[in-house]
Amino acid sequence: MTLARARLICLAVFVLALLAVPYVLPAFGATFWVNIVAEILIWSLLAASVNLLLGFTGLLSFGQALYFGFGMYGVALSINNWDVGFLPALVIGIAAASAMAFVTGIFAVRLTWHYFAIITVVFSLIFYFAAMSTKWLTGGDDGLSFSPPPVIEIGDFSLTLADTTAQYYVILVIVAVAFALKALVVNSPLGLNFKAVRENDRRAALIGINVFRTRLAAFVIAGALAGTSGALFAFFGRYASASYMFYHVSGEAIVWAVVGGSGALLGPLFGTGALIVFRELASNFWENYLLAVGAITILVVMFAPRGIAGAWNDMLLALTARGGRSATTAIATAEPAGDAPDHAPTRSNADG
Amino acid sequence: MNEFVLALAINGLVWGLIIALIALGLSIIFGLLDVINMAHGDFFMLGTVGGLVIAVSTGSFWLALLIVPLIGLLLGAAIEWLVIRPTVRQASLTIVTTFGLSMIIQEMVRATYGPQPRRMSAPIEGTIPLFGIDYDLYRIAAAIFSALCLAAFFLFLNRTKIGTWIRAVRHDPETATALGIPVTQITAFTFALGTAMALLGGVIAAPITTVEFRTGIDVLPFCFMAVIIGGLGNLQGTVAAAIMLAVLEGLVTSFVDPTTARIASLAFMSAVLLLRPHGLFSGATR
Repeated sequence: MTLARARLICLAVFVLALLAVPYVLPAFGATFWVNIVAEILIWSLLAASVNLLLGFTGLLSFGQALYFGFGMYGVALSINNWDVGFLPALVIGIAAASAMAFVTGIFAVRLTWHYFAIITVVFSLIFYFAAMSTKWLTGGDDGLSFSPPPVIEIGDFSLTLADTTAQYYVILVIVAVAFALKALVVNSPLGLNFKAVRENDRRAALIGINVFRTRLAAFVIAGALAGTSGALFAFFGRYASASYMFYHVSGEAIVWAVVGGSGALLGPLFGTGALIVFRELASNFWENYLLAVGAITILVVMFAPRGIAGAWNDMLLALTARGGRSATTAIATAEPAGDAPDHAPTRSNADG
Repeated sequence: MNEFVLALAINGLVWGLIIALIALGLSIIFGLLDVINMAHGDFFMLGTVGGLVIAVSTGSFWLALLIVPLIGLLLGAAIEWLVIRPTVRQASLTIVTTFGLSMIIQEMVRATYGPQPRRMSAPIEGTIPLFGIDYDLYRIAAAIFSALCLAAFFLFLNRTKIGTWIRAVRHDPETATALGIPVTQITAFTFALGTAMALLGGVIAAPITTVEFRTGIDVLPFCFMAVIIGGLGNLQGTVAAAIMLAVLEGLVTSFVDPTTARIASLAFMSAVLLLRPHGLFSGATR
């Protein structure tokens, strides 16, 4: 079996498993977990926005919570003030986050590494404090609740979020589309530019890549991903709150992205899933479970910098290597990457 | 000038001197190790908690003032060895590891000390008249003591052998190695010293702030502002910026609410970061 085929089969199994969640979990009496999986899907988009910047463009943003918050408030405010439907509200949320990412990005992407991390956290703090103090608009800490409009309404038929199963599928579809679009971007010429800038921005500039625009594009797309996450979370929780714009939310997203594997496309999903499942299991009997999350974070950075996805890829490689000839070429194309972030798409392309 | 404004300005000065001590710790760690220490606010918090616990159990605040920074030195050395040294090569990822560290410290304090905020009585009671207002004696003492600590730090850095070594490693680690300076130990010591300064700031601040596991979260952004506005790695700049920011926030707070003051200083900081990335005082000594 070639590596590419093994990957495809795993992806298919994974998607089928996600599709089956609302039917399989309740059968085992775990109806509550359907919502947990939905929550994982939503948060994984926020981790994906960190992943796109850190793993594919080489920028560590500590302020993605800002765009998450704009996604939330875009939805909540547009529904409360203009009484719009589901899709327009979603689009407004994503657009608000992207616009904010564009404006702040113009300033932020002029800086790199430490300076970039600091300016992104500063921008998010400014708007966090602003949202906290403009209670009339945002509801501050208490937040702003709203009643979500039906997702689709054609004649008698209406699909609402009130039904857990329907809500789950709506979330799954939107998250899947977001991940698919992210995969498209990463594999497009623009995605190659991202990687060129990540590896060496001077050389990238020398071969004619506009480093500023490339970083800005990555930042806006990451903002859109974070905004989608926030918009979905607003629909999921039926409210928006300024507390989600604090830098700890950004930090959590970084932890999810790094634990999942910051250079792999589906890494954020694994990282978010593993840590949220851990939270749900551990917080029942251990109040201070965050102790373990902190330790896991440090240990992953130290011993498995490519995260869960990296370990998974290594395992797939090892398994398919037993198969025969084609796998050796897979290793040959994979190895030069060394300990650099995992180039999952490039690797499967080279193999196929 | 109105007395209320004056009191807030003096409050700002007192707080600024304490913050300067903590931010200086953050600044030497960044300058030498290139580590953005997200756990630095929690080191401060450990100082407040340690100060309260030791002062209550032994009955002497002064003993706490002596012991807690020493604990900070040991703790800093241990953390540098366990967490920082293995990951320091991936400079950007130390932000992630120190964030993990911050979670661990907060949860450990919550698990042992408890989640309730507590207040500590000042070791020096009474007030003194100052420009027509009655001002807490302890706050004045805290400001003077912080200023002395700052002076001692700069004397240590400029007048002792280890201080010279620290400056040499900061300037050029490879040449320092070639000259026989124990770079690894100096790096570890610098981290330990930075940690100890945050804990010392914590003990000093314990009687004038609430003592709980979350205080570090509020202090960290302020320290970063001081470090950025002063210029990353510019130590005198950090001190000047910390005092300036605290006094300004104190003054602005008398006209608008504290949140607006905080937004204003954050906006000021982004402007500095974008227009003068080496800090407001980049023309001055480095």
